[in-house]
Amino acid sequence: MFIVDTDVHNYWSSAEVLLPYLEPYWRDFLVRGEKPGPRGSFPHGHRPWLHPEGFSRHDIRPETEEDNYLIMKEKHLDLYDIDVAILTADEPLEASTLANYHYANALVKAYNDYMIDWWLPKDSRFKGSIIISPTDPHGAAAEIRRLGDHKDIVQVLASHGSQRPYGDPFYHPIYEACAEVGLPFAIHFGGQGGVNHNAVAGGPTSYYWETHALLSQPAMTHVVSMISNGVFEKYPDLYFVVIECGVSWVPSLMWRLDANFKALRKETPWLKMLPSEYCRRNIRFSTQPLEQPQNVRHLWETLEHMDGQNTLLFASDYPHWDFDAPTNLHVPPAWRDKVMGLNALEVYKRIEASAATARIAS
Amino acid sequence: MTTAAAWGLTFACKTADVRVGEPKIVTIGRIPVGIFQLEDGYAALLNICPHRAGQLCEGPISGTTKRTDKTEFVYVRAGELIRCAWHGWEFDIRSGKCLVDDKLKARTFPVHVDGDEIYLEMARKP
Repeated sequence: MFIVDTDVHNYWSSAEVLLPYLEPYWRDFLVRGEKPGPRGSFPHGHRPWLHPEGFSRHDIRPETEEDNYLIMKEKHLDLYDIDVAILTADEPLEASTLANYHYANALVKAYNDYMIDWWLPKDSRFKGSIIISPTDPHGAAAEIRRLGDHKDIVQVLASHGSQRPYGDPFYHPIYEACAEVGLPFAIHFGGQGGVNHNAVAGGPTSYYWETHALLSQPAMTHVVSMISNGVFEKYPDLYFVVIECGVSWVPSLMWRLDANFKALRKETPWLKMLPSEYCRRNIRFSTQPLEQPQNVRHLWETLEHMDGQNTLLFASDYPHWDFDAPTNLHVPPAWRDKVMGLNALEVYKRIEASAATARIAS
Repeated sequence: MTTAAAWGLTFACKTADVRVGEPKIVTIGRIPVGIFQLEDGYAALLNICPHRAGQLCEGPISGTTKRTDKTEFVYVRAGELIRCAWHGWEFDIRSGKCLVDDKLKARTFPVHVDGDEIYLEMARKP
């Protein structure tokens, strides 16, 4: 089976891997400036929910920088025979939490250069994401234009924690740049601290597991905002990919949106289709962490209402604690080829379709 | 041939290979097994979690909080539980039972110690 894993975290052991890629002022800042932890920690405003067992799988124990790749290769890429792994970084997404957006821009720029220089050449299965800090949309757009033509870059990625809903015109320079270079805009669970103070609706929860179960909340806001603000009218070919935010909430949200739109369409006269039609055309959702009802048929029926066969993209979230193995993904058997890999070809056009054809033929 | 081997048991490892808090993962045939030393003896669990087939025995050995009727944190069963390396589900090392789901049980293997050697009963009882 042709497998595209749309969420593979390429860890580092120390953020000091960025030092060769930072300009001198920012290098001094990372070496001598204040950090949220010991030397080697990545500058960010940390979320107020601390995982009681740590974020990573306990069987992943790198001791050197090289181990971060070698263990991933052994325990994930080779073990599951993955064809394409889209690298989604890890801590760099948290740059969006910093108040100093110049520093945030410098850090993500250094990460993007490090990723292209250190990770992409290691394995022909790797594709990269341009990490941006959306707190400065024009800076983010410049970074997208700087790297957007690289053949192995397949998307632009930001944290789902943000200061405003992503459909806000404040962010449109980002989508203009994405459309210009032909890359999807993706968001990934994270960035829930610092200046992104709206991580949980209704006020901050107390415990990690309850907060993690609410990871869909900001994603709901962003999906609604992207549709209502007409992002997909301005950029009709733009794909918006929602990574690690759950999926089973999508149908009920679309039912509500369509009903409200039919009554109050006049508020947003720039929209030409029902909200659910924009969702179906322009938005894709990664599977992990796929909901786990007692009876899997309840999940499958729900996913049918969002055309899951065509809108879901497989993701493992390697090497995190809520990892989904490709061999254990509970989607309808008839959907597997599409969800595991073929749907990704529609979204990530730089992944060569020939690779899929060869795999399916073999 | 040792006595244990003569009884049809399968050699797993030496007792010196396992310490309290430091299990040994062995592969017997194609079956990965975690061998644990507890305060009162040894235990063996299949290193495949019944939840999502993760590497159960490579997670941390720990205790947990006791179920209580008020807001308090009473740490119990220190050293008796294994948290799966992947998703962190808690299992009793001796019985293989999952703490949050009685119906879920990791496979256990009866352990026999013969001198400084640890043997397992690999076959299920008929």
